[in-house]
Amino acid sequence: MIITQDDITLFVEAIKSVSDYDFSEYSIKSFTRRIEKILVDYKTDLPLLTNRIRHDDKFLEQIVKDITVNTTELFRDPKVWQTIKYRILTRLNDQDKISIWHAGCSTGQEVYSMQILLNELGLLEKSDIFATDINVDVLDVARKGEYIYRFNVEYLENFDKVIKQNPFNESEFFEVPYEKYFDIDKSKDTIKVKPFLKQKPTFFKHDLVKDGDIFHIPFDMILCRNVLIYFNYELQNKIFELFYQYLKEEGSLILGIHESILGPKATKYTKKGLYYTKK
Amino acid sequence: MKYKYIIIGGSAGSFQAVTRILESLPKTFTMPIFLALHRLKHVRTGFVEALSIKSKLPIVEPVDKEHIKQGKIYLAPANYHMYIELGNYIALSTEEAVNHSRPSIDLSFYSAAFAFKEKLIGIILSGANKDGASGLKYVADAGGLTIVQNPDECQVRTMTTAAIKTARVDYIYTTDQIIEFLLKLPQ
Ligand SMILES: C[S@@+](CC[C@H](N)C(=O)[O-])C[C@H]1O[C@@H](n2cnc3c(N)ncnc32)[C@H](O)[C@@H]1O
Repeated sequence: MIITQDDITLFVEAIKSVSDYDFSEYSIKSFTRRIEKILVDYKTDLPLLTNRIRHDDKFLEQIVKDITVNTTELFRDPKVWQTIKYRILTRLNDQDKISIWHAGCSTGQEVYSMQILLNELGLLEKSDIFATDINVDVLDVARKGEYIYRFNVEYLENFDKVIKQNPFNESEFFEVPYEKYFDIDKSKDTIKVKPFLKQKPTFFKHDLVKDGDIFHIPFDMILCRNVLIYFNYELQNKIFELFYQYLKEEGSLILGIHESILGPKATKYTKKGLYYTKK
Repeated sequence: MKYKYIIIGGSAGSFQAVTRILESLPKTFTMPIFLALHRLKHVRTGFVEALSIKSKLPIVEPVDKEHIKQGKIYLAPANYHMYIELGNYIALSTEEAVNHSRPSIDLSFYSAAFAFKEKLIGIILSGANKDGASGLKYVADAGGLTIVQNPDECQVRTMTTAAIKTARVDYIYTTDQIIEFLLKLPQ
């Protein structure tokens, strides 16, 4: 079945009428594709789906989770992590506290990557870390910090690049065994983060579209990677404004490697290679 | 002039054809070109550079919501799907692989066909799976022009033969003929 723009609008309106969720400013192509996938998975059509979400709250919650795209990796894009390590965190070294927000953290790999980095630099103790997502199921996984080994093993290579090597000084090498941070059980196909990494981050549900400022502390660093690609240009600009308010002066905003502040909010930030700082 | 955009899909064995096509296009070639090419999972960087060596036109891996400009070549970034959106811009997504592929040729072709209809030329090159066949059908059904690299010339012919079976194909061309055709297009 071909889904038209009008069908999608009706569906989004239906969600809005029975809940707080607002997908009206999501990026239309990927949103439509998610819906197509849901229709196939549930063997249904859009009128039936629309009708059911109007009457079944639990089902609606499930569909909201299905709409979100949760792909993530440990130390995704090592170059970004090297920048965080050598360009951003080095500047925050002398502060008493470091506050970090992972917006759209999915199953937590990004959060634990940051924990490991902070620990290597001796900064973990003085860090406050918040990690949020719209999807409560991924937050449960994140809190557990337990992953399927075979899906994550390839990213240990990223760990080597970020934790063991220094791209700015090739003679430097740190011998850090994976066991320092992970319990790996190949026979059970699991990789678990060590319990001490789970103490710092606070994981909770937060919808970037509507939940606004609930932190009341300004951030040194906001990571929002591969989340805004699911939002349209107008919504992206609103979020860049929100982040601007949440950031400390000179605070850093880290977007996905193929994301960029293209619109009017660009003047409020300084682009520094792979990240932005608040002007 | 009827055609205004070109989209090219390819996988195993397509690198040579793509570089030859790109190096043959003059600086004055204005039609935007979209490249949806599979690459090895671990080769995430260096591809733009490799393609750029001989190209006279600028090649970029677009950022999300980047505006499409004339005379530019857009390469789907590694591990992202690349969509063409109405309103002349590009959107990216990291949703799961389709046909084991991300970028997915089909997804890029569907969205380009939807956005550009009869103004689009779709080209499928050498490749080892069937990704792109259904995408090329969308291009044809939307009134666009379809070209498939001659399977006899392809290092791996799975992709091109699947495309020929699935879509209405206007031309089956060798790389040289594809180049000749593109150079004759009115700009
Ligand atoms: C592709 S994941 C990115 C994970 C991680 N940041 C990374 O780059 O590896 C995108 C996440 O954004 C979340 N998300 C989508 N819409 C959201 C919203 N309105 N508010 C908060 N999170 C949202 C999804 O649930 C998903 O977990």
